[in-house]
Amino acid sequence: MKATSVKTMKTSYVVFVATFLASTSAFSHHSAVMFDFGQDKQKQIEGVVKEFQWTNPHTWIVLAVKNEAGEIEEWGFEGMSPNWLGRHGWSKRTLEPGAEIAMGFAPLKDGRKGGFTLTVHLPDGTVLQELPAQSDPPTQTDR
Amino acid sequence: MWTKITTMGIDALKGARRSSIAAALLMISIVPMVACEQSPSGSSPQGRTWAELPKLPDWSGVWEFDFRTGTKSESPPKLTPRADAESKAFVGGRARGENLQSVLANCVPPGLIGIMAQPYPIEFLFTPGKVTIAIETHSQMRRIFTDGRPHPEDPDPAWHGHSIGRWEGDTLVADTVALDPTAPLDDQTGPPGIRLSDKAHVVERIRAIDDAHLRITTKIEDPETFVEPWTIVRTYLRHRDWDIREYICQQNNRDAADEKGRPGFKLD
Repeated sequence: MKATSVKTMKTSYVVFVATFLASTSAFSHHSAVMFDFGQDKQKQIEGVVKEFQWTNPHTWIVLAVKNEAGEIEEWGFEGMSPNWLGRHGWSKRTLEPGAEIAMGFAPLKDGRKGGFTLTVHLPDGTVLQELPAQSDPPTQTDR
Repeated sequence: MWTKITTMGIDALKGARRSSIAAALLMISIVPMVACEQSPSGSSPQGRTWAELPKLPDWSGVWEFDFRTGTKSESPPKLTPRADAESKAFVGGRARGENLQSVLANCVPPGLIGIMAQPYPIEFLFTPGKVTIAIETHSQMRRIFTDGRPHPEDPDPAWHGHSIGRWEGDTLVADTVALDPTAPLDDQTGPPGIRLSDKAHVVERIRAIDDAHLRITTKIEDPETFVEPWTIVRTYLRHRDWDIREYICQQNNRDAADEKGRPGFKLD
């Protein structure tokens, strides 16, 4: 694992409009007030998956991240539920422990090491989104 | 959060992505349904026997609340002085960092109005004399009795109240009373911080407007909360290949708020 700092999100990482998430009921269970979804606030981070909790009301990624000093820090990221992600291309096996991934996330406003997952970039180049973009067609499968 | 319904808005609801020909066909198809709705319910199949169930409309599959179009109304509700004061006090608390979460963050399911607008689908089950709505969010269940019974004289309050229904053509009209006033509305319907009282009377008109869309028009009367009835409209998308999943909010909830609605976030 190479040392990495938490970077401000590159434009290419911004795959959906954060205001969309904040303004819809895609969050059923709580408001998104703890996270900073501002497009200029979104971050990227690289690390090794320690744990992927496929649970309600939210999934959870524990990520081991090497900081600039070479120390391993543990970060935590909330994501959409299995009910949501399971219908949008994810499964409980999407993130196996030991997988080296890059993530885009909305950071916690309180500065702690965590946030809400926006995208996951797998080693094979697959990019997984947590939520559809406003411009995406509905998930309707049979219209 | 509400948006004004205009003719354009209705068209957009039906799917701006459709071709104008499809939209025209849709308009034509609505006409007989309207005519049907005006017929007395007595002439419509009510699904009170197994033999009658196949005469009910095909609402198979599951239905996802279309959060892109959201909850619509012609105007915000006109609040009674009491409800208005409660809403203003609730919003005022936000300046102090309170009321930023509702009890939903602590895994309390929303009551009737909110539970019908969640990001997980609902499923309609027809059995003789009863329409059951399986609601994935919080694994909830609503029962709408269509066997002709009236509401109980003194019903117990409940999160979903007590619902009786009748079919008017392809429209299921569900009439609900006895909502529990302690049930949260939800975070996104109507002005922040309002609740319905035990005087609330809710009438939902539920109809599949085409093969892929279901619409629920909900009229809420509550003399303690609204000066006049408030009507909201929601659209649902059909998914024939989805199944209702389990949803146990208490399984791994890291977002519990305190009693003042101040957010929490458990990292480890």
